[in-house]
Amino acid sequence: MHEMSVALEVCRIAEARLAHEKLDRLVGVGVVVGDQAGIEPTNLQFCLDTLLAQPPFRGATVKIERCVGDSLRVDYLEVDE
Amino acid sequence: MSVRVIDVRESVMARNNEIAATVRQRVEAEGVLALNLVSSPGAGKTTLLERTLDALGDEMAIAVVTGDVQTQNDADRIARHTSALVQAVVTGGACHLDARQVDRALEAIDLADTDLLVIENVGNLVCPAAWDLGEHAKIVLFSVTEGEDKPLKYPRMFRESRCAVMTKIDLLPHLSFDLARATGAMREVNPELEIFLTSATTGDGMDAWLGYLRREVARASSPHGALRG
Repeated sequence: MHEMSVALEVCRIAEARLAHEKLDRLVGVGVVVGDQAGIEPTNLQFCLDTLLAQPPFRGATVKIERCVGDSLRVDYLEVDE
Repeated sequence: MSVRVIDVRESVMARNNEIAATVRQRVEAEGVLALNLVSSPGAGKTTLLERTLDALGDEMAIAVVTGDVQTQNDADRIARHTSALVQAVVTGGACHLDARQVDRALEAIDLADTDLLVIENVGNLVCPAAWDLGEHAKIVLFSVTEGEDKPLKYPRMFRESRCAVMTKIDLLPHLSFDLARATGAMREVNPELEIFLTSATTGDGMDAWLGYLRREVARASSPHGALRG
């Protein structure tokens, strides 16, 4: 039910990391979602696809990996150098 | 195009948890017990709070933060039972309170003049389980008009909670609700769960609940500090 706020936080983490690395072109985001995290993966995918289509992300792709437990984390970023 | 992978491994909840930690530090610095009331909609959080304020309002200072998707009806109801400040957080559609909202709500509350802070979360047995608000304990309410297997359907909420307050037990004679099955389901999910059986209408079981609050408020204000979990 709170996938959009989670997606916004994923974007905030990605943006902060890009700024830290002095990069501006995000290609992909890997997110890990546990089966007890209270997150519906297809809903999160929809929210992230929508947000990442907007500036400053320019259409980065999302890969959601499932796991057992309540993990909910940004696992990696793919960036264009 | 040359693509590089950056290892991040950052929890999506990390920022919320940082703010929750500062909330916890603030309340602990003032010896305040902070409880997060969670339940499905209609389980009786506001009514339990009204009765609690009526019973304890003269012996301890209780501050309340209420969260609702729309309206501040719960805050208005509670405000009729206390002279203390009741802070309403209207989430505007969001299904839970987060630590930032509680942090902001605390700006208007004088913690130095507070013994017990009660956060009445949005009625929802799923999302509030995932968000640390800086409380010392989550208290889950479970009414006898719900299904006995609620703890098995929503295990995380019952696992994350320190206590369960069963509500509306005055209705038991009119229902086919199996109390033993319900308490068994709670213990199956969380064997440590402390369970109170209450009716805000008749007052049955309220003494045990109020006694728990008195004990924990005293403990929070002691040098050894409050319960955790």
